[in-house]
Amino acid sequence: MNIQQQVPRNALVWIIICLFALVAPHAARLPVWVLAVYVIAFIWRLQVHRGRWSFPGRWVKVAMTFSASLGIYLSYGTLIGLEPTVALLLTAFALKLIELSQRKDAYVLLFLGYFICVTEFLFSQDILITLLSVVNVTLVTTALVALHQPGEHQFNRGTIKLASTMLLQAVPLMLVVFFVFPRFGPLWTVPIKSHTAKTGMSDHMKPGDVASLSQSGDVAFRVKFEGEIPPKSELYWRGLVFSRLRQDIWSGLGFYEVPLSEQRPSKVSTSGSPLSYSIIMEPTQQNWLYGLHYARSNSPGVMQSSDFRLFSPGPLEAENMYSVNSWLNASADESLSDWRRKAETKLPPLGNLKTRELARELRSGVSSDEEFVDAILARFNIEPYVYTLRPGALAGDNQIDQFLFQSQRGFCEHFASAFVFMMRSAGVPARVVAGYQGGEINPVNNTVIVHQFDAHAWAEVWIEGKGWVRVDPTGAVSPDRIEWGLEEAMQAEGSFLAAAPLSALRFRSVPLLNMLRLRYDALTYRWQSWVVGFDRERQFDLLQRFFGGISAQIFATILLGSWVLVLVPVAISLFRKKDTHPVSRWDKQYLIFCGRMAKLGLVRAPGETPGQFAQRAVAELPVYAKELEQITRQYNAIAYAKVDGSGGSMGEALGRFTRTVTRFKPARRRGVIDETVSS
Amino acid sequence: MLMVAINFENNLSYALTFLLATLFLVATLHTYANLSGLTIRALRAQPAFAGQQSEFHIMVERSKQRDHYGLHIKWPQSSESLANLTEDDRVNIQLHMAVTNRGWFNPGRLLIESTYPLGLLRTWTWIDLDLHALVYPRPLASAELPGLATDTPDGAAAMVAGNDDFFGFRNYQKGDSLRQVHWKGLAKGQGMQTKQYTAYADRSVWLDWDLFAGLGTEQRLSQLCYWVLEFDSHKEEYGLRLPGLVIEPALGEKHRDRVLKALALFGKEDRPL
Repeated sequence: MNIQQQVPRNALVWIIICLFALVAPHAARLPVWVLAVYVIAFIWRLQVHRGRWSFPGRWVKVAMTFSASLGIYLSYGTLIGLEPTVALLLTAFALKLIELSQRKDAYVLLFLGYFICVTEFLFSQDILITLLSVVNVTLVTTALVALHQPGEHQFNRGTIKLASTMLLQAVPLMLVVFFVFPRFGPLWTVPIKSHTAKTGMSDHMKPGDVASLSQSGDVAFRVKFEGEIPPKSELYWRGLVFSRLRQDIWSGLGFYEVPLSEQRPSKVSTSGSPLSYSIIMEPTQQNWLYGLHYARSNSPGVMQSSDFRLFSPGPLEAENMYSVNSWLNASADESLSDWRRKAETKLPPLGNLKTRELARELRSGVSSDEEFVDAILARFNIEPYVYTLRPGALAGDNQIDQFLFQSQRGFCEHFASAFVFMMRSAGVPARVVAGYQGGEINPVNNTVIVHQFDAHAWAEVWIEGKGWVRVDPTGAVSPDRIEWGLEEAMQAEGSFLAAAPLSALRFRSVPLLNMLRLRYDALTYRWQSWVVGFDRERQFDLLQRFFGGISAQIFATILLGSWVLVLVPVAISLFRKKDTHPVSRWDKQYLIFCGRMAKLGLVRAPGETPGQFAQRAVAELPVYAKELEQITRQYNAIAYAKVDGSGGSMGEALGRFTRTVTRFKPARRRGVIDETVSS
Repeated sequence: MLMVAINFENNLSYALTFLLATLFLVATLHTYANLSGLTIRALRAQPAFAGQQSEFHIMVERSKQRDHYGLHIKWPQSSESLANLTEDDRVNIQLHMAVTNRGWFNPGRLLIESTYPLGLLRTWTWIDLDLHALVYPRPLASAELPGLATDTPDGAAAMVAGNDDFFGFRNYQKGDSLRQVHWKGLAKGQGMQTKQYTAYADRSVWLDWDLFAGLGTEQRLSQLCYWVLEFDSHKEEYGLRLPGLVIEPALGEKHRDRVLKALALFGKEDRPL
């Protein structure tokens, strides 16, 4: 095989490093057998390299490809969708290593490697993943460089240095393109992440759901307020509205269950200036968005439902940023349609009879719905109800009865569910609202970080003349939860994040760690708002701010300008004349001398010693015999003997030599030149 | 990749795509730099017979302390050589190229190219080297040397300094062997004298242009060339007579090269050296 087509050993090592570095961030999502393929591929290729085994034959390759596809199909149940596609890509990547023998195989492998880096971003655009991908891109580039170092069999660190240098030089150019490249919407629909677990609130709620979500320390979303941050007790992030109870499970009304006339949210009269804030949500694979009552958003892709929720038409596959205006005091649905009144008071025909009885009893003892609300809250407060993350499981029928009259231990969803049930039992329109309550204020950048453990459920009751009013039964049981958050509320129980003993959130009491955590979170916010959340709007704002608009002309100018600014210095550093060896001072003087001789047509040939040169020169210019001899002798003495003939020091000798050279200004008599020319 | 970025509206995919695109841009400079600062020197070219391969020696030298990898050096019709300049500042390479016509052969412009570092771009340059190979006529065997067939070799004995038969004395000259000094004569006061011997070459042949009457110029030269090699390999003396050129019979590498050069350049212009 032509040496040019071979894969140098240095490159092979880098390629194998790439292989494992690239699969690492994907590993958690892959079936275990795919990782086994990587190990097998590595061992096989190593044995081929050592001459023990041979490259796989054609049928072996076909069999491997087929069984890999079959394996993916069996593992995922389909070959369509993002995860199976990426898994297939990664398996092919490993298999390609086994048959890697020529440079063109390596090209395929490495370009596939770049593509795998991209696929990683479809799952996460986290800072850490990004840093890892930077390392991976550097490794792939290094392997590509190593591939073009024929015959380089030593593992060579210079290779990675060149790759990193080139990437660093490319970064400023990349940034420019990144910010000016026009963003247009998707050209066609793409496979969605069908196999990624949905996180956060689900579209239904049964007792115990919110409590289990509260075990997680993950971030749900981050909020940046334009002005002052309202008190925590006001931060009720509405996400879902549950209006239907079926078999002790609360769920929202489906899109088609709402009649057409009811689908548009009724007009809400707003007064005063709104509370403005922007939210960056972590990907949830769900549709709903969060906001404070009453929320309106102008961001593209944010819609409003008839129960005043915000939602996105598609599931949130990536971090999503939207801005919201909220009027906390606005009253929604001042008048209730018959259909809605019916929907919001509907109860299953059977079950929880004791609760219904109690509700009717309490309602008959008061004169208004508002007093009724207070009566129930008072009951929650006075009776020995316990707010706990460990409510114990409720089973069978009549779960609300069980909770209210037997266990009396519950998390927010128990209280909210029981409260709404009692309201509806008495014919008062009410519904369960799920979302998050409170949040952690990050003093570093003044954002509110809302974690999964801030998940909460509360109720909304429709009061004549006021519209929907928020009522939080949990506040009646555990005011600490609303004022301070879950951690404080669960202090006595010690159940806060019990399942995550190493979560950084558990070390909030250590100032240094907490400071680092908050700083990292602030960085994440910045990252998400500038890099991940950079969209058409932000691009427009940015270009407007710096260049006063966007036009093809400006676009081209920015692009070319950045090229000149970056590429010219790079070119200068690359092409600047730099001698291999530093020239010593005596060599410099001797070269000056040679330069003067060259002007007379006497060029020292490469490899000609000063002695030989002098001989030739003397023959040509006998007049200067003495000077030539002197210069040559002095030079030889310094350069080779390093000893001065007259016994002086090196410095003196050099000084003398310099003077001799400076004084020597040969000129040719005309006759000699003519003679040379004619010869 | 751009399609992925656009369709998933994934900003980091955009970033990576653009990074690779701009890497390509930066790589143009680095690819070009792999050839910059190189000095190519023609060392020498091995003479060859027409129809054979001539070997060309070239030196590649760098002027900067930068590694140069994967330099492909060749003439369009020559063999290819791959050079790296990493540890040493210069490297010698040999290229082989078939030569067809006698005379001075100039291989034309030398191509140096490389795709280092990324393989996506190729940089190349054509260099005109002052490198000429002397091409001897293609040796063409003929059964017998026509002149020899009559067994009257043209030119009988030539006097060559040898030590076969005593021939006479001459005055000692610097460089004469001390063994051949006529010591007895010196003792007799005749001064330093050297004994002279003659050796008759077994066959001292004149390879004459006219021996091959009736043949074309190239054919004549080819046959002459063949006989030059024949005689040389049998260590027999030979001289050459061409129209306008006579080389006295002699033996040895230098002589052979001189004769062959004469054949190569017959009727052609010599290259000013």
